[in-house]
Amino acid sequence: MRRFELVLPGSLDECVKALAQAPADSKLLAGGTDLLPQLKNGLLKPACVIDLSGIPRLRSIEAGNGQGLRVGSAVTARTLELDRAVRANYLSLAESGALVGSVQVRNLATLGGNICNAAPSADMAPPLLALDAEAVITGPKGERRVPIAAFFTGVRRTVLAPDELLVELAIPNPGSHSGGSYLRHTPRRELDIAVVGVASQLTLANGRCAKARIALAAVAPVPVRATAAEQALEGQAVTPDLIKRAADLAVEAARPISDQRGSADFRRHLVRVLTRRTLTTALARAGA
Amino acid sequence: MSTVMKTTRDVKGIGLSIPRPDGPDKVTGQVQYVADLNPRGLLHAKLLRSPHAHAKIVRIDVSRARALPGVRAVLTAADIPVLKKKAPTRAHAVLAIDRVVFAGQPVAAVAADEPAIAEEALDLIDVQYEVLPVAADPLESMKPGAPPVAELGTEADTSEAQAHGSVAGVTTEVKSSKAVNISQQARLQRGDVAKAFAESDVVIENTYRVPMVHQGYLEPHAVLAQWDTAGNLTLWASTQGSFNTRSEVADVLELPENRIKVIPMECGGGFGGKIRALCEPITAVLARATNRPVRYVMTRREELEAGMPAPQVIIKLKTGVKRDGTLMALEAEAILESGAFSGAVLAVAGVFLASLYLWPHFDVKGFEVLTHKPSIAAYRAPVAPQTIFAIDSQMEQIARKLGVDPVEFRLRHLQREGDKMANNQPWLSNGGVEVLTRLAEHPFWKKRAEWKASAKDGKLRGTGLSLGGWLGGLQPTGATVRLNPDGTLQVLTGQVDIAGTNIALAQIAATAYGVDIDKVKITTGDTDVAPLTGLSAGSKTTYTVGVAVMQAAQNARNQTLEIAAKELEASVHDLEIDGDRVVVRGVPDKGVTLASIGKKGNLYMSKVEPVLGASHPAFSVQAPAFCGQLARIEVDPDTGEVTLHNFVVVQDVGKAINPAQIEGQMQGGAVQSLGMALTEALMYDDKARLTNPSLLDYRKLTAADLPNIETIIVEKPAPHGPFGARGVGEPPIVPAPAAIANAIEDATGVRLTHLPLSPERIALAIASAS
Ligand SMILES: Cc1cc2nc3c(=O)[nH]c(=O)nc-3n(C[C@H](O)[C@H](O)[C@H](O)COP(=O)(O)OP(=O)(O)OC[C@H]3O[C@@H](n4cnc5c(N)ncnc54)[C@H](O)[C@@H]3O)c2cc1C
Repeated sequence: MRRFELVLPGSLDECVKALAQAPADSKLLAGGTDLLPQLKNGLLKPACVIDLSGIPRLRSIEAGNGQGLRVGSAVTARTLELDRAVRANYLSLAESGALVGSVQVRNLATLGGNICNAAPSADMAPPLLALDAEAVITGPKGERRVPIAAFFTGVRRTVLAPDELLVELAIPNPGSHSGGSYLRHTPRRELDIAVVGVASQLTLANGRCAKARIALAAVAPVPVRATAAEQALEGQAVTPDLIKRAADLAVEAARPISDQRGSADFRRHLVRVLTRRTLTTALARAGA
Repeated sequence: MSTVMKTTRDVKGIGLSIPRPDGPDKVTGQVQYVADLNPRGLLHAKLLRSPHAHAKIVRIDVSRARALPGVRAVLTAADIPVLKKKAPTRAHAVLAIDRVVFAGQPVAAVAADEPAIAEEALDLIDVQYEVLPVAADPLESMKPGAPPVAELGTEADTSEAQAHGSVAGVTTEVKSSKAVNISQQARLQRGDVAKAFAESDVVIENTYRVPMVHQGYLEPHAVLAQWDTAGNLTLWASTQGSFNTRSEVADVLELPENRIKVIPMECGGGFGGKIRALCEPITAVLARATNRPVRYVMTRREELEAGMPAPQVIIKLKTGVKRDGTLMALEAEAILESGAFSGAVLAVAGVFLASLYLWPHFDVKGFEVLTHKPSIAAYRAPVAPQTIFAIDSQMEQIARKLGVDPVEFRLRHLQREGDKMANNQPWLSNGGVEVLTRLAEHPFWKKRAEWKASAKDGKLRGTGLSLGGWLGGLQPTGATVRLNPDGTLQVLTGQVDIAGTNIALAQIAATAYGVDIDKVKITTGDTDVAPLTGLSAGSKTTYTVGVAVMQAAQNARNQTLEIAAKELEASVHDLEIDGDRVVVRGVPDKGVTLASIGKKGNLYMSKVEPVLGASHPAFSVQAPAFCGQLARIEVDPDTGEVTLHNFVVVQDVGKAINPAQIEGQMQGGAVQSLGMALTEALMYDDKARLTNPSLLDYRKLTAADLPNIETIIVEKPAPHGPFGARGVGEPPIVPAPAAIANAIEDATGVRLTHLPLSPERIALAIASAS
C-alpha cells in the first residue's frame, strides 16, 4: 500500500470542506472493505483518504418523512441484517445485508460503501432498486436527491461528483400488503460474490398485484430492473404460471458477460431460477 | 523395525492423543513467524513483476526508483552476475534476464526502509516490454510450432520426483525433438492393448481435467536474510526443508553450503509449496547489496499469481472390461501442465492410473508440457488426487454400467501386496482392502438407497465414495538423543515440523528410551547444528525421522544402561528403566537415578561418558498408505449447489502414534480435497493472466461449507515403520474429487469429468440432460 494523508472530519460540514480542498483523486473511507483491498493491490493510489467514521449522522437509521426509512450511508450490513425496523418492512434489504461477506466483513461493510463502490454484483443494490429508494447526496452546492436506479452510471461509476458524498438512502414504506425477497447465487456459502442476485418486491391490492419490482445484480454493468417482467405481473392475479412467465421475461433484461465467476449462459439460467424463487417468496410475504 | 520395548510398565508415549506443545502459542498469536522478526536496521523487499506472460525485456530504467528517499537498493538481473540465461529451475530464475516467461515473474527488486517506500519505488521503475505470443493452453503448447517457453537447451527438472521418492523404475525421457514445450515424456506398457480392447464388452472413454490449484498455506512465502562481516549468510525461512533451501540457495548464488545457515522458522503451512526455494535467493542478494538485514514477505496476490501451484492435469482415459467384470485394457494419456519450468512428478501419474486396479493390458503415456504460467511444485500427494479422480470415476462408471456393486467391483480388482505395479515393482504391504472394506461397512454407505429416497422440496440426494492413496516417500535423515544432568531427554533433529510431527517424535523417543513423554523435549535445529535431514514432504517425517529418533533413543538407552550396569555391578540384561531410575529387575530398591547418570556425564574430572544416542539411517522400503472417503450430499438441481451433509474419512495409518494429530491430518486433508472437488481453480485468460488473484475468487472452502468430518483410523502395521507407523499427511487429500463426482452421479444421474464440480457445471449439465 502506498503512503497517503488521512483526514478525519468530525461532522458532515467538515467532510464537505475537506473534500473540496482535497486533491481530485481523494477517496472516502467507510468500512474500507472495498477500498483497502483496492489500495493494497495498487488499483488506486490516492494521495488523500477521508475517513467517515467520525460523522455519527451517517450511521443512523431514522423514520423518514411520511412513513419511510432514512438509512445513513455508513450503516453497516450487520446492522441492516439485525435492525427490527428494517426487517419489519424492508426484509429484502436485511436479507441482502445478511449475505455480505462474513460476520467480520459485515461489521465493517456499509450500505453507502456498497452502493458507491458500484460493483455490478453489489448485493445491497437490487433491494434498494426494488424498494424505489432515493440517494441523498451532499456537496459544496448543497443537497440533491437521485432515484437509486439513476445512481449507477457504469462499472464502479456513479453520479457522484468528486466533491460529493452520499449521506443516506431514503426508502419509502412499501406498505403492509407488500413483500420482498433477495436471493443470490454463489459457489461458496459465505465470503463470495454474487454470480447473480435478484430482489423482488410485490405489493397486492384486492388479490391482484398492484406493484411489482424486480431488480437484478451482476448481469449488466449496473444493477437493472426487469421492467417487462414487472409489467407482466402488475394488475394480474399472481399464479405460479405467471411467476414462471415473469421469470422468463426477467432473463431478457439481463445482459450478462462471461467471467471468472460464471458464464453468460449460467447467469441467464440463474436469473430465471432466482426470479421465480424471489417472486414466490415475495408473494407469500405480501399475503401474510 | 517394529520393535516391542521392554519396560516394567507402560510409559506415557505411543498411542496417546497428546496435544502438540506449540498449539496454545499458535492460537494465541504468540508464535514468531518470519514476518514478525524485526532485527535492527531491517529493510523491506518488494519485487516488480511482469504484467505479461511472455515478453522480451527491451529496456529497464531504475534511475528514478533509486533516487527515491528511503530506497536502499534497486536491482535487475544485470546487477547479479551469477544469473544464467538457461535457468534449470525457478529458483535459478531470480530475476528475468531478457525475457519473461510468466505473468508475475520478477524483473526487478527493491529494498527500502518501509514497505510503502519499496512499493512506490516499484512504480518508478520503467520497463519496456515487447509482448510475444503466449502458450496459454497445454494442449496447444505441446504442438510443434507453439511459442517456446524454456530457453533452448534447458534440461527438464526431475528433482521433485526424486524428492518425493515415490516411484522407481519408470523411464522418463527428457525432451522430444519438434514439440519444444514437451519437457518430459514417460510410457508404461504391458500386454496387447489393441487385442484386449477388441475382446472387451464395455469400453468407456472420458477426458478428465483438473485445473491448477494453489496449496493455500496460511502463511505466505517469507524469508529474512542477513550477512555477517565474514561473508556468512543467515536465512530465517518459512520452509519445508532447511537443508534443501540451503542447497538450492548455495547452488543459485554459487556459495559453499557451510557458509549458509538456514534457520527454519515456525512454518505456517507448506503442503509442498515450500519445498523449493522461491524468494530466498533474491532476498539474500538484496541483503548483500545493502549490507543490512532484508525481509521479504509475499502478498496473497503474489502467492496466487506467482507461487508454485499444482499442475493442471488432463487425462484421456479409455478402459475396456468384459461383461462379467473382468478388467481387460486401459489406455491413457496424461498431460501435466507445469507452467514455465519443468518439475512435475510425471511417473506418479502413470503408476496410479495403471496400478491401483490390476489391468492386464495397459498403455499409459505421460507428457509434461510447459506453458507461460507460474511453474508448479508439489501439492500434498502430488498428482494423486488428479489421477485417482480419473481412475476412480472410471471404475464407478464401469460398475454402474455392469450393474454390479461398486465396492465389490473395486475390491475384486484392487491391488494386493506383491501384485506388480505398472512400473513392475511389487506393491508393498498396505491397507487398501481394509480401508475400503471398513468404509463400505459404514451405515451411510449401507443406507444410501434410503438417503436417495429421502430427497424432498425439489432437491436430489446421493452418496459416493472413493479410495485413494500415496506410495510414501523416503529420504535419509538423522537424530540425536541426549541425557541431561537432571535426567531429562533432549532430542535434536533438523526436521521442520509442519504438521505436529515433533510431538509424535517425542512420543517415539519417550517410548523407545523408556520414560514418560513429559521428560522429553524435542528441538528443531538449524542447518549449522542439526543432523542432515530431508524435506518435510512425501508423508515421510514420522516414517523416516521417527525411525532415526527411535534408534537414537534406543542407542541412548543402551548407553544409559551400560553406565548403570557398572554402577550397580549388574548385567545390562537384568536392568530396566522404571520411572526416573534404572533398576535391577526384581530388586526394585537396587537402582540409580537417570539424573545421577546424566550428571556424571557432565561433572568436572568425571570418567563417565555423556549419553549421546545418535542414528542416521537411510531407507529402501516405502509404506503405501490408503484413504477412503464417503460423501453424503444434497444437490439443488436448479442452481447446482451441493450441500455436504456428511463426510467420512477412513485411513490406514499403520500405527497411530498420536491419534488426535492424525485425525487433524485426516480432516485437514479432506478439506483440501473437497476444495479441489468443489470450488478451487486458478483461472487464466487466453493471455495466460490469472483472472482470480484473490481468496475471494480463488475459493477455498470455509467452515460454512463443511459438514462434520468423521474420522476412522485403521491400523495395518507397516513392517519398517517406527512401531508400525505409516505416513499420514498426504493420503487424505486424494479421494474427495472422485467421491463427490460419484455422489453427484448418484443424486442426479449426471457424470462430470472436469474439476471443480462447480454449481455452474452441475446445473448446466442437469439442464441439458433434461
Ligand atoms: C471478504 C469480502 C467479502 C465481501 N463480500 C461481499 C458480498 O458478499 N456482497 C457485496 O456486495 N460486497 C461484498 N464485499 C465488498 C464490500 O464489503 C461491500 O461492497 C461493502 O458494502 C463496502 O462497504 P465499505 O463501507 O467497506 O466501503 P469502503 O471500502 O469504505 O468504500 C467503498 C467505496 O465507496 C466509497 N464511499 C464509501 N462511503 C461513501 C459515501 N458515503 N459517499 C461517497 N462515497 C463513499 C469509497 O470511497 C470507496 O470508493 C466483500 C468484500 C470483502 C473484502
